[in-house]
Amino acid sequence: MDRECALLLPGVCAVLAGSGSSLPDDTSLEKLLDWFTGITEDGGSLLETCPCLLKLISTVVHNAASDPGVLSFTLRLTGLLAATEESFKTIQEHPVLNKVFNLQHWQEAGLWEDPCLRIGWIQGLRSMLQHPKALSFFVQSGFIDPLLQLQTDTSLFIAEAANQMLAHILLFFQPVPPAGCKGMDKKEKGDGMTPSSADYTAVVKSISGYLKESLVPKESKNVRQSLQTLKLLALLLAQAGPPLRDKLLQTVGDSLEELVTAGSSELTLPLMDVILSACSSGTDERITRLLSSMLNINKPADLIHAAAAFLRRGHHDTVHTARAVRILLLPLDIMTGQTLLGTISTADEHQFSVVEQLKSKSSCISMICVCLSNTPQITLTPPDVLPCLPVSIVTAVLSLLRICSGNSPSSSTGCSEVSRNVIGSSKVQKCALEALTTLTSSPGAKERISEVFTVLIQYLENPDSDPTVLHKSYQALLKWTSVCTDFSFITDQLRHDLVEVVKKRVCDMRWEVKDSTVEFLGHLAGVCDSIKAAAEERDASEALLGDCSTTPLLREALQDSESYVRASAISALAKTLTHRWQQGATLTEEEPEIVSRLLEILSQDSEGFPRRAVVQYFISWYSSHSPPSSSSSSSSSSSSSLLMQSVRSVLSQGRADLDWEVKVHTLVLAELLLDEAFSGHPGYKKGSDSHHASPHAYGVVSEQAYTLHTHTATHTEGAESDLAVVVEQGVVSVLLSGLVDCDRPVALKACRLLITLRETVCPLSLGALDASAAMATVSCELPGCGWGREILKILKMKKSDQAKEEDIADQSGLNGAEEGGDSVCVSVCEALRSLGLDERMEVLTQSSDHIHNSPLSLLQDILTASATHTKPGEEVIVDCY
Amino acid sequence: MKLYCLSGHPTLPCNVLKFKSTTIMLDCGLDTTSVLNFLPLPLVHSPRLSKLPGWVSKDGSANLQKELKECAGRVFVDSQPEFCLPERELLDLSTIDVILISNYHCMMALPYITEHTGFTGTVYATEPTLTIGRLFMEELVNFMERVPKAQSATCWKNKEMQRMLPGPLKDVVDVWAWKRSYSIQEVNSALSKVQLVGYSQKVELFGAVQVSPLSSGYSLGSSNWIIQSHHEKVSYVSGSSLLTTHPQPMDQSSLKNSDVLILTGLTQMPTANPDGMLGEFCSNLAMTIRAGGNVLVPCYSSGVIYDLLECLYQFIDSANLGTTPFYFISPVANSSLEFSQIFAEWLCHNKQSKVYLPEPPFPHAELIQTNKLKHYPSIHGDFSSEFRQPCVVFTGHPSLRFGDVVHFMELWGKSSINTIIFTEPDFSYLDALAPYQPLAMKCVYCPIDTRLNFHQVSKLLKEVQPLHVVCPEQYTQPPLTQSHRSDLMLELQPPPMPYRRCSVLNLPHRRRYERVYILPELANSLVPSEIKPGVSLATVSAVLHSKDNKHTLQLVPKPPPVAPSKKRKRVLEEPPAVLAPKTLLSGAVPLEAFLATLQNHGFTEVKVEETADGHILHLQAEDTLIQLEEDGTHIVCDNNEPLRTTLRDLVLRFLQKL
Repeated sequence: MDRECALLLPGVCAVLAGSGSSLPDDTSLEKLLDWFTGITEDGGSLLETCPCLLKLISTVVHNAASDPGVLSFTLRLTGLLAATEESFKTIQEHPVLNKVFNLQHWQEAGLWEDPCLRIGWIQGLRSMLQHPKALSFFVQSGFIDPLLQLQTDTSLFIAEAANQMLAHILLFFQPVPPAGCKGMDKKEKGDGMTPSSADYTAVVKSISGYLKESLVPKESKNVRQSLQTLKLLALLLAQAGPPLRDKLLQTVGDSLEELVTAGSSELTLPLMDVILSACSSGTDERITRLLSSMLNINKPADLIHAAAAFLRRGHHDTVHTARAVRILLLPLDIMTGQTLLGTISTADEHQFSVVEQLKSKSSCISMICVCLSNTPQITLTPPDVLPCLPVSIVTAVLSLLRICSGNSPSSSTGCSEVSRNVIGSSKVQKCALEALTTLTSSPGAKERISEVFTVLIQYLENPDSDPTVLHKSYQALLKWTSVCTDFSFITDQLRHDLVEVVKKRVCDMRWEVKDSTVEFLGHLAGVCDSIKAAAEERDASEALLGDCSTTPLLREALQDSESYVRASAISALAKTLTHRWQQGATLTEEEPEIVSRLLEILSQDSEGFPRRAVVQYFISWYSSHSPPSSSSSSSSSSSSSLLMQSVRSVLSQGRADLDWEVKVHTLVLAELLLDEAFSGHPGYKKGSDSHHASPHAYGVVSEQAYTLHTHTATHTEGAESDLAVVVEQGVVSVLLSGLVDCDRPVALKACRLLITLRETVCPLSLGALDASAAMATVSCELPGCGWGREILKILKMKKSDQAKEEDIADQSGLNGAEEGGDSVCVSVCEALRSLGLDERMEVLTQSSDHIHNSPLSLLQDILTASATHTKPGEEVIVDCY
Repeated sequence: MKLYCLSGHPTLPCNVLKFKSTTIMLDCGLDTTSVLNFLPLPLVHSPRLSKLPGWVSKDGSANLQKELKECAGRVFVDSQPEFCLPERELLDLSTIDVILISNYHCMMALPYITEHTGFTGTVYATEPTLTIGRLFMEELVNFMERVPKAQSATCWKNKEMQRMLPGPLKDVVDVWAWKRSYSIQEVNSALSKVQLVGYSQKVELFGAVQVSPLSSGYSLGSSNWIIQSHHEKVSYVSGSSLLTTHPQPMDQSSLKNSDVLILTGLTQMPTANPDGMLGEFCSNLAMTIRAGGNVLVPCYSSGVIYDLLECLYQFIDSANLGTTPFYFISPVANSSLEFSQIFAEWLCHNKQSKVYLPEPPFPHAELIQTNKLKHYPSIHGDFSSEFRQPCVVFTGHPSLRFGDVVHFMELWGKSSINTIIFTEPDFSYLDALAPYQPLAMKCVYCPIDTRLNFHQVSKLLKEVQPLHVVCPEQYTQPPLTQSHRSDLMLELQPPPMPYRRCSVLNLPHRRRYERVYILPELANSLVPSEIKPGVSLATVSAVLHSKDNKHTLQLVPKPPPVAPSKKRKRVLEEPPAVLAPKTLLSGAVPLEAFLATLQNHGFTEVKVEETADGHILHLQAEDTLIQLEEDGTHIVCDNNEPLRTTLRDLVLRFLQKL
């Protein structure tokens, strides 16, 4: 704690002790507490540094009129102060500790009714219970019973906190298990920390007794208590070491059995949680038996959830896994008529009740969705557990998808009374499509790829498909394409259908559909590229879309009225063309048209997304194009010249954009140009961001490190000509205008790049004479208004400072600057050195609220607020004016 | 109550309801699918059509080269198209009192009924139904009359001949009942019999029943009908829609508590959701235009076209179609577009409120104003000079057999960049296209049918709960092509009564009550006596007077005072002496109490025997039987009148007298 804060703290304590009502806002107490917690965690002792806190506690506690918020704060503060054994002793010497946590005191004062106080009590104790002394205090004060009562408090937050607290006590103080045993992290506990076994035993006894009592609901209205207890039990069993675990299971075993037998729907999932937690921490015959019973309850809907819960936990118990798998596959089997479970032997009673359940629409949909979301997991279970081949599950999902869209052939053997419940249900469709997407990884799935494509194209074709369903269909199609190595299954018909449907969907009425279609085209190009790179296969895009070029579709989408679609079209175009750029392919006729349209969007579009996308388009073009030197053909160089020409426009327009993200992207492009210009230069550090970037509040600057093309040309001419090139390209203007931008992320990025540039061309470390002599000749022009004026102002200010210090009178003002009309020419090096970039950088890296976020400011705020509060007269006078 | 079904077409119904003493025809739909068997009527000479080979049977035995032409393996009749009329033999149509029309699609057979059957009744319809129905009829007449065909093919209808024809001609039935289109005079005469009604207006028919139209939400002025007497209610549900399109929403609540609900006019495309189809329509249209092709939309001149135009109005800009011309070509195009704007009171609320702004309710006004939509009476005249491609053309007739659409089919059919988009659900698009094969043009089928689907109708029926439902038999099983879709049929308890063409149904509802009025003087003279708390009875002697299906009880005319004339009275003329009405008995004879009474009166030897209906008491000493039954008591004794009287009096003691 710094001195200033230490000085202010007593005053703040006085304010708090007085009345809490004058606090600037209701978060200030929390902030204060956070600050204290931080100090304690760093190893500082609050009691020593701020004795006033103890005084505050005793004042507040004795003042019955204290604000409940302040009281709650006090309770938590006390707990925090007493968190170490040493300070606990100190506090205990004062009579204050008993008073603070004395329940009776609060109840008599009528303050216990306030949930604020109750939660303060729990959290205070929770902070304190870090050492055996505290546990003794806790037990001796008889706090265990009230805590157990709070477990079913009317406030959910309090009930939850009480549960956490109970778990904390049992787990934190549990005896250290013998080495090698799975147990909790004991790092925090020193040697002398073992609590007296009597205290701990007492706690365990009363808590486990309570668990046993409250587990089985006496009446239906007590279900909440059972729920809470089950939650607590699950928490405990997941982390308890063997002695505690055994003890708990021994106590609650009967109750658990009773609950399983009762089969209350509400309790099924929490109960399953408890049993699975118990399973995960060790095996036990009884628990196994309970698990078996859970997987045999006769309410189909509950059973399916239980089975899903079991499977999600990923146990490897063959018998139960097989059972869970059968449970989950049954509805799918019934619905689709695919024999997933083999022939079901007898007139299965369970099957009968499942069919009955499936006949109701709502439960049918929910059950099928649970089944579907677990199918990918099911296919990955060992073959001996699975009742069928994984590929049959893919078939079943496909046939379910057909049923959902009403396209199922009438010969389908599924139960028609059941299947009509899912016809047209977009919820089931989405679930099934998600399942299908994940099923790519299941063994043997690829056998069905042609069928998958057919169904997915049918979905895309279906006029009634919901936009989200279409989106999922596209995703599934991409995923399946990405795992496909052989496209020979794609028939002309399939290809024709896909092309037609994509063409149609690009013209859809709903912009979401257009957007997902355009996105799909982009991703498809990306996927195809990666496949090509991997396997040197036939062009996947060609295999899928034939000779239909997607570029005209995307170009059309550039004109769309919806900005999201335009933006997606731009990035899709970039993805589609990336491959051509990388190959250094010749410039097509349409490329100049695309570029001019993109520049039009950048300069005229009213929405930010498309403009951002445009800049990114050029970023990816620039970063993937082959440098002109390596390409021999003249047409390719025309591609390069188009790129360089347009990059210049992008820089000048992006710099002036109103959207800060566009500006940041423009800076990224500028960085690429810098990289290219100086990458041969010894002093140049590429990727300046990754070196000294501290993550800042907005996380704007793309973390992506751009891997650049290999740059072979060496710059023997030195940095001077490179700098001239960069200036000429407009990079320096972008950086300088960015530096004075009012958006912090922009200024930050620009500042970093400018520093990098300075370090490369005219490092401060070198004597001024050395480099600048040559470099000084490179100058850039600043406009006489806007950012140019800002930069000039800074330069003048610096110059005049310097002038004062060095006492050199220089009439012209700036050495390198020649004023000519409105615009001004400045020497780049001079400017880089005189802009005070390092100080600027320091200011910019601090987050914008750093001043207001400090503890000092918090303390000041509290004091100021109380001052205005206690002197109302002033306000009145002000009002009179 | 009887229902005669004159049409088998579920969406073009024609039924006759006999209810009380009235005969009511419900709708008068004309099945136009028969025209699909005919060659198209080209507006300008079509070398392709005129060169089609005539049909000769394989063995050469049948030669109908003049009447039948072959195109792409199918045979078409080369003659003026003919329509399949409602059945006219099932009952004497001249006995029909009124015809109730539910929408303009369901009245196209009206001239055939009103002009050629001796019909003398009245037709009831709403104003938009009449207006747009007239437009439809005029358009039909115009289509037929502007390309007159000299020849009228009849030989093929010969039974012997027809048997040898290839399908589907071979299988069509009742070909002799097919008729050519009516003339404009017949249309005018038929429509002059229409009387206009407004929603919920009650029309008395001969005092027997009351009919009243309700909004059905399907098209401008479309209605369902309630036919009710004091004690019975029959609802007639024809084309209805619950979707929010341009017409006033459907009035569902008035259909509640019907004894019988006759359900027709459900969607013909239960699997095609109108919203999805509208989307499909727009995207296919945009796709074609972008590729430089033309779009042809065969459609009716009113109805869905308003919604299509409204949808396009919003879509045009988002799809960059601002410069594409849209043409609407129909002899009644102008009237249809204009009329739609003036029927404010028949529109949905949203559109109604626009009228007060004041703005035209439909956005096609703006499309016309900005020259994006142009309309012409036909391809001749102005249109040919202003025609620009690529474009979108809306024109009739959806069957592709007559109207301007035939011309565009000939013009654009050969190029694969053009698209024809079918939006009307009435005709199978494959059949419609058959005489144009081979066809390079792209075909898209987006039937937009906003009428109730099975899901909606089962919800509706659950809500209005009719006692009995009558519907075309097609609705009681899944569609033929999708036999597994059990969700596409009506499942009701009790099951609906299906009908087909020529069915005569005895509706299960039995009439049990009739309202009778009592004149005040007569009412005054009644002496009610309470037989149960809250229930009083009185005997009435009166004269029942029935006139115009109204029944009134009047005082019995007093016998004329015995004239002191000296004329000899003839016995026969004398009014019968008014006998004092016998008292009516009610109640039951309690066995125990009766036995005790008998005992008191000296009948000691009583043997009681239990029977199915009551008891038999055997008075052994007197050899007499008393049968006590629920609805009668008999005393059987042998010629012993005093004993019978005594016993009768004993029985009467236990009964109430009225």
